[in-house]
Amino acid sequence: MAQGGSKLTAEFNEKAKASLGKFTRRQVMELDTCAHCGLCTDNCPAYNESKDPLHAPGVRSAMAVKLYDRKYNFLTRLFGNTEITVKDVEELSESAYHCTLCGRCMESCPFGFQTHELWTRVREIVADLDGTPVNVGRLAGMLEENMNPYGLDPDERLDWVDYTDLDEVPEKEEAEVAYFVGCTTAFKGANHEVAFSIASILDEVGEDWTVLGEEEWCCGNPSLLSGDEHTAKEYAEHNVKELERRGVKKVITGCAGCYRVFRFEYPKLLGREPNFETLHSVEYLRDVLVSGKLKLEATDEKVIYHDPCELSRLSGVISAPREALKYLTNNPLEFEEKGIDVRCCGGGGLLQAVNNDMRLDIVSRRLEEAVEKGADILVSACPACKLAFTDGVRERGFEIEVLDLLELAARQLGVF
Amino acid sequence: MNSILTSIYAFSVQRLPYITLIVTFMGVALRVMRWRSSPPDPEKIKIDPVESVKYVILDVVLFRKTWKTDKAMWLALFLFHGSVAGIVFGHLRGFHIWSITLFEAFGHAFAEFMVHTLPIYVGYVFIITQVYFLARRVMLENKQLTSMPNDYIALVLLLMKSIAGQGMRLVAPEAVPTALYSVVFIPRFVVLHLETIPNSHWFHIHIILTQLFIMYVPFSKFIHIITGVITPAIYGSRRKQIDR
Ligand code: SF4
Ligand code: SF4
Repeated sequence: MAQGGSKLTAEFNEKAKASLGKFTRRQVMELDTCAHCGLCTDNCPAYNESKDPLHAPGVRSAMAVKLYDRKYNFLTRLFGNTEITVKDVEELSESAYHCTLCGRCMESCPFGFQTHELWTRVREIVADLDGTPVNVGRLAGMLEENMNPYGLDPDERLDWVDYTDLDEVPEKEEAEVAYFVGCTTAFKGANHEVAFSIASILDEVGEDWTVLGEEEWCCGNPSLLSGDEHTAKEYAEHNVKELERRGVKKVITGCAGCYRVFRFEYPKLLGREPNFETLHSVEYLRDVLVSGKLKLEATDEKVIYHDPCELSRLSGVISAPREALKYLTNNPLEFEEKGIDVRCCGGGGLLQAVNNDMRLDIVSRRLEEAVEKGADILVSACPACKLAFTDGVRERGFEIEVLDLLELAARQLGVF
Repeated sequence: MNSILTSIYAFSVQRLPYITLIVTFMGVALRVMRWRSSPPDPEKIKIDPVESVKYVILDVVLFRKTWKTDKAMWLALFLFHGSVAGIVFGHLRGFHIWSITLFEAFGHAFAEFMVHTLPIYVGYVFIITQVYFLARRVMLENKQLTSMPNDYIALVLLLMKSIAGQGMRLVAPEAVPTALYSVVFIPRFVVLHLETIPNSHWFHIHIILTQLFIMYVPFSKFIHIITGVITPAIYGSRRKQIDR
């Protein structure tokens, strides 16, 4: 990309026009309606840490519509500046990636703008205009080579089995249930126990289940979050083909990101609904606890539940983890900001790749509150949240145990 | 009154309404064309009328989300939109959509209060809330929000027209005719019937600014008068699809 605030070439500006033209009908209406009132900013975790106007969602909306108008508003085209500069792209990128894509702004905006999709579209435009941050760009290379965003060999996908007390996991050609592990659970040591817990519970209930092993590819979420719909589509096609080939009726995942993508993005990417139902592990846990298929004794420890944004606000799964928690502890606690109004832990939106300090600042707020409430254990239901919390505990010196809800259940089951 | 002013005032009543109509319709048409020319959404959101209406009531009428976020802003928004509704309703009496008899059932004094006294207080509330919005915008500018020029133009235009409207109420009328005084904007369609002949300057400034404001709506953020109902309705139906 050229330097400074200089104008870019005519060819680049044509590309910019085509890219800005990707804003859908509803999104253009949203950008036109945005009153730049800043009400969404009050609750934005990223802005509240940096206080940088570029990180405010309402400012991002103003930036986006200004660029759009340069190419699509006839009055601007007649009388105003229509060029898009390097500085414009840099600022848009800075804004778009200092965002956890938590969707809190969506629940704060009086007009109900679907900001998660809007900001993802902005990232797509940033990618088209070569403005993706370097660290995020690296993910694409690793994904292309290894089908996971950590650049690890696909045959390490089941390494978590070796690191746990599990003898083996089934890799069947046909099964009723598939456990879609997800990259952040499979490749990040802090989450291996989560996979172990889910596998143990599936065994305990006696499910006919399988994993995809090396045939499991990234769900496509990191690609979508970095504006690469093409790669996400390729992964969606592969994963759905592998799952349908095995005649799977139910896919269970413990990752809020995988879950959201399977439920809401795959139908869009594939143009059809997959032939299976997708459940998050907390929904499955709730079901087996309520039906009595799994019997556990509740602990007296004080347990506070953090809603993963992608599971609660963005996927509407709010009551299931709470219903499950009733079976796991006699002392459940709640954060002030919870459910659809949950405050993000900072672990989403690829923020770690761009500004890890901000991620830790965001997670510290949540940890502070959990400690103030007197919680012994902080549970969540997403490997990215668990990573953020464990990093926060380690880096910022909090004293609280961090677990996934399924780990808490497996612990009560006595598997570790 | 000098002849230039007389011609401007005559123009504002006899010609400007037609220009206002044409510009406003063209503006709305341009907006719709802009949206129509964008690609459709890949995901079809099935509109659920019950959920959509529920969200419109909660978020547009009651400002539920603003209540959760900023109580002072909620109060200002509530009072502002409430006064807009009251003022629009009040104006309809001048266009013979309703009359004072609507309130006569509760006594003549009450009816008088509703049509002559209350509007003055509502006018003040309307102006004060706009000043609050303007001051908030200026204070948060380049911190929490960045405005576009049209955000300010629209607010200032609205404030000026509101002050002119309130001025018209407060300044003594030029005369109190025995019969109703009619101002014909568009013969047979837009005819205003007044009990008094208002101060000419305040009246004409008010109607000029009002028409400029109406023309500016499709080109400004006040387009949310229309779209601000559509987007929460879509969001309501979307949530119905999401929530488990
Ligand atoms: S999605 Fe979350 S982090 Fe991003 S702008 Fe909205 S509130 Fe802020
Ligand atoms: S709350 Fe909604 S209307 Fe206000 S600035 Fe944010 S996105 Fe725009």
